[in-house]
Amino acid sequence: MQLKVDNLTVLYDRAMVLNKVGLVVEEGEMVSLVGPNGAGKTTLLRAVAGLVKWEKESLKGTVGGKITLKGEVEFGRENISRLRAHEIVRRGLVLCPERGRPFREMNVRENLEVGAHLCTDKGAIEESLQKVFQLFPVLEKRQNQISGTISGGERTMLAIGRCLMAQAKFLLIDEPSVGLAPLVKEHLFDRIKDVHGMGITILLTEQDISFAFDLATRHYVLSQGQMMAQGSAEELLADEVVRQSYLGL
Amino acid sequence: MVIDILVNGLVAGGIYAVLAVGFSLIFGVARIVNMAHTAFYMLTAYFIFVGTTMLNIPLVASLILAIILITIIGLICFKLFFDRVKQHETTVMIISVALAMLFQEILFLVFGGHYTGIPPLAKGFVDIASIRVSYQHIFAIVTTGLILLGLWLLLSKTGLGKAIRAVSQDREIANLMGINVNQIFLIVMGISVALAGLAGAVIAPIYMVSPLMWIQPLTIVLASVVLGGLGSVGGCVVGALILGYTEIIVTFLVPGGASLRGAVSMSIMVVVLLVRPEGLFGVAFEEERL
Repeated sequence: MQLKVDNLTVLYDRAMVLNKVGLVVEEGEMVSLVGPNGAGKTTLLRAVAGLVKWEKESLKGTVGGKITLKGEVEFGRENISRLRAHEIVRRGLVLCPERGRPFREMNVRENLEVGAHLCTDKGAIEESLQKVFQLFPVLEKRQNQISGTISGGERTMLAIGRCLMAQAKFLLIDEPSVGLAPLVKEHLFDRIKDVHGMGITILLTEQDISFAFDLATRHYVLSQGQMMAQGSAEELLADEVVRQSYLGL
Repeated sequence: MVIDILVNGLVAGGIYAVLAVGFSLIFGVARIVNMAHTAFYMLTAYFIFVGTTMLNIPLVASLILAIILITIIGLICFKLFFDRVKQHETTVMIISVALAMLFQEILFLVFGGHYTGIPPLAKGFVDIASIRVSYQHIFAIVTTGLILLGLWLLLSKTGLGKAIRAVSQDREIANLMGINVNQIFLIVMGISVALAGLAGAVIAPIYMVSPLMWIQPLTIVLASVVLGGLGSVGGCVVGALILGYTEIIVTFLVPGGASLRGAVSMSIMVVVLLVRPEGLFGVAFEEERL
């Protein structure tokens, strides 16, 4: 299903985080969102997943709740900008947060089972569990371990697995490679390719430009809340201004 | 004497445990410090009193009606007073104190300040090692045990339980996994108040019923929760049992102990917290910087 973001503007109090940002991801694509620290990449994903709206509502009356959120998000021709985060998941659009953020006092298996919260069919849950274990055999080995004690790479894998348990058709992955050792990074790179190969559309954010450029086919460059450029890796690298100002290459 | 202490300690500890678990649940899940928790327990005792002595409803029916009624009242209080300010934790706490005071004053106005009692559900007693143990005490022990077991099964084995634990550990991610967080808050508030109601129903026939009966258990509940480790449901059960037994042992063994029991329990809590600030079973995961 296609994801279309139009004119998305987010202000935290008076700080402009996203300024009329738009992007389109077609079904079956793998697209990356690159840009320096503080560009608004995470906020964009959070806004699409309904978390900014949730934050605004649940922090109403506090400083953290002074959020302005404007713009439209369409998923598979349906306008989802008014939907709540838990309703968006039901449509197959799932966010995998930075550093995985497992439920730390639960074991790995329970974490995955929470991912299948919306699924009531036991057989289907077991089937997706086996699929996740096949993709990440290390999770099967660790299934009874408390997830607060697993490594950073395993956390990210667990988080992706949890999204798969939620029957994701479209995955938003926030900074998958952050803080990982080169070998783990490489492993994760291949696994994300595998997930994409399962027919799941992916939009990911990355600070590591080469990781993003090798993985995704099309890229958006975000800087200081504004969409600066888009295109294939070759196109972006050919543009001297983009290359020097935003990619730092 | 030993049997007396064992039985009475289990009754007191069990009731405190049921109360503490309910308090700890709504705190852990929604970060609501509900100081009116034991006021709900008190109200239940009064509902049963009204049902049995004034309306002549059979005791069992009164118990069930009282628990249903208190759960509804609890949910209404949550919606009216807690829900809209729940992002301000201190405000919620102060509102809940006000609520408890309100209930106390209403009870004073309606029933006056004297102590009342409720007939036991199970009359009679059984001799255990030549000590008389009333059926009501046995009933209280078995019921609290079953309640705690049921709650443990709910939290560890069912999908709802996993969702509740997920929300308590990371609301935002729970939301991202399709869990309706506000709905879970409401469900947990219902469970929490129902637990307070159950405790009230079990204890009303054993202890005296009065408009001030919420204060002493509230202190013990707060102490059990920090003693066991904030946010650890299992920990607060252990904390409650320790404090329940302390009370009974002091009452039985120390001359004039009945007036000292609170002081001794609280001293134990203070000492434990000095040695282990996170409580007995507190989980201290290092907060990660995001």
